[in-house]
Formats: sequence, C-alpha cells, structure tokens
Amino acid sequence: MNPPKQYRAKLEDKQQLNERFVQYYFELVEPNELVFSAGQYASLKVSEKGERRSYSICSSPAVSHGFELLIDHQPAGVGCTYLENLQFGQEIELLAPLGIFTIVADEAETSLALVATGSGIAPFRSMLLERLQVVKDTRPITLYWGMRHANTLFWEDEFEELAQSFPNFSFHPVLSQAEQAWPLCRGRVTDCLNTHEQAAGVGYYLCGSTKMITDVSQTVLAKGVTEQRIHHEKFY
Amino acid sequence: MADPQVKQIGKYKVEVIREKCISAASCVVIAPGVFDLDAEQIARVISQDGNDDETKLLAAQSCPTMAVIVTDTESGKQVWPL
Repeated sequence: MNPPKQYRAKLEDKQQLNERFVQYYFELVEPNELVFSAGQYASLKVSEKGERRSYSICSSPAVSHGFELLIDHQPAGVGCTYLENLQFGQEIELLAPLGIFTIVADEAETSLALVATGSGIAPFRSMLLERLQVVKDTRPITLYWGMRHANTLFWEDEFEELAQSFPNFSFHPVLSQAEQAWPLCRGRVTDCLNTHEQAAGVGYYLCGSTKMITDVSQTVLAKGVTEQRIHHEKFY
Repeated sequence: MADPQVKQIGKYKVEVIREKCISAASCVVIAPGVFDLDAEQIARVISQDGNDDETKLLAAQSCPTMAVIVTDTESGKQVWPL
C-alpha cells in the first residue's frame, strides 16, 4: 500500500443524501494525486486546535485527483460540524491513505460477503467500484446493508444498477424497522445472512457497529468459517 | 531491560492505550521505528527514538480511535489527543 502523505484538498461539491447522510466531494490541491486502496480512510484536521477525525473514502480508487466521503450528521460531532460549515472551494488538510481494511489477495476466498450497517457502507462503495469496474473481479460479491427504515437508504439505485450490470454482484438491503410493504429482508443483517445460503469459501468483510461485527462474526464462526476469513473495520 | 513503553528519549513520549487500539495500523505505517503490532495485532511501542517527534505526533494523530497519547517530556504536558 502507498504510504500516507499530508494533502490539501478543496470542497468541490456536496450532496444531501437524506436528512442524516451527506456525501462530500473533494478535489486535491497539493499533492494532486491520491493513490489508495478501496477501504482505506483519510484523517481530516477538523479544528484550528488540530483535532482530527477519520472517515472512510467512499469513491473509486480509479479517481486519483479527488475523493469522496460519506458523513453521518447524527450525532453532530466536531467533524461533521466542521464539514457542514465548509464553503465550496475552501481547503482542508488531511492525511491519507490510511488503514488496512481492504480486500485481501486470497484466492481461497472464492466469494465475498460485504456486510455493513449505517455509514459502515462507505468503504464498501469504494470496494464495489474497485472490484467490479476496475479489477473486473468475477467472484460472486454480495452486499448486505442494514438500516432502519426504507427512507434512510441511499445509493440503493447505484447498487441496483451495479447488480444489473455485473451478474456476479447481489445487493441485499435489510431493514430493522421495515414498513409493511417492504418486500425484502427484515430484521438484522445476521437474519439476512441466515436466510441466504452462504457458499463455502466466502470472505466476510464487516463494517459498522461493534455489535453487528460481534454478532455476524459469531454467526459465521458457528457455521465453520475460520477467523482468517473475517475482516472488519471497527472505528464506526 | 528497559521497557520501551515508558522509556523517555527525545522530546515526545508516546504511549498506546491497548483497549482503544483497533489494529488499523496507521501508526505503524507512519512511524515504523516507533510502533509495531504485537501478536494480538495491537499497536505497541518498540522504541521512543525510532522516528523524529514530528513523525511520532503524526502517527498518533492518524489513529482513528486516538489510542496513542503523546506527552512533551520537557513541559510534562499532553500534546495529543488535545
């Protein structure tokens, strides 16, 4: 992996995905190229005092002149308040790329299960874009994403388009408080994992709440999956 | 043998709070002369003088869970986390 560097970047755009989540687009200023692996994160300086917050990069590694971040504005901490107040064109300081939560080069992992809750979806968007569009990974890849209500989902159109374009990709949104008409999985992501048969050789990538990571790990370990096949990011 | 966790060489002393470490390994990437991961994949200090103070501070600042504490041994004040 590339060693981290200190960067300056400017806010290029932002998109309010719903009342809770915002996607920020940054263009690099100096240096002007960021080479990263999908799943890595950036550490942003978020106050004049020098406080920092870490956010997974949610954009494709194929784009090296900028990057995108997904920010959960609840609760409104120092990081999201800083980003919310940024003006277009205003510069930020960051350290990137960081982290080792990336798809491992293990041919024994014959399929991939990406399991997220909430904003833990961020690194998986980057991984999916990398796997499907850049690497042309043909292994079966399934995304399980747990949220509460249908109206809290975002990026679902993009994931469904990817599923239509790439037959090896499947998307399973799971709602814990689904409305009556919700036709797909309900409950926890562990319920969805239990509903859908898991093939042998699955590599599990988990990102979300500590409870989810614990529950999913226990679930798949009980099915005979080895710890080496379970990878997780825990800082959400 | 001196314990590298408490050895004080240079201006900045770093310490790892094991309970906070999530094995992101950013400190190891930035300051490999100071940090590595133990058998449990938890960061540990292997030397206080393996990298310069600026690098040690940057390594601490890169930690997503703020598991690395930096203290200025001259002033006795904690430099990081703020």
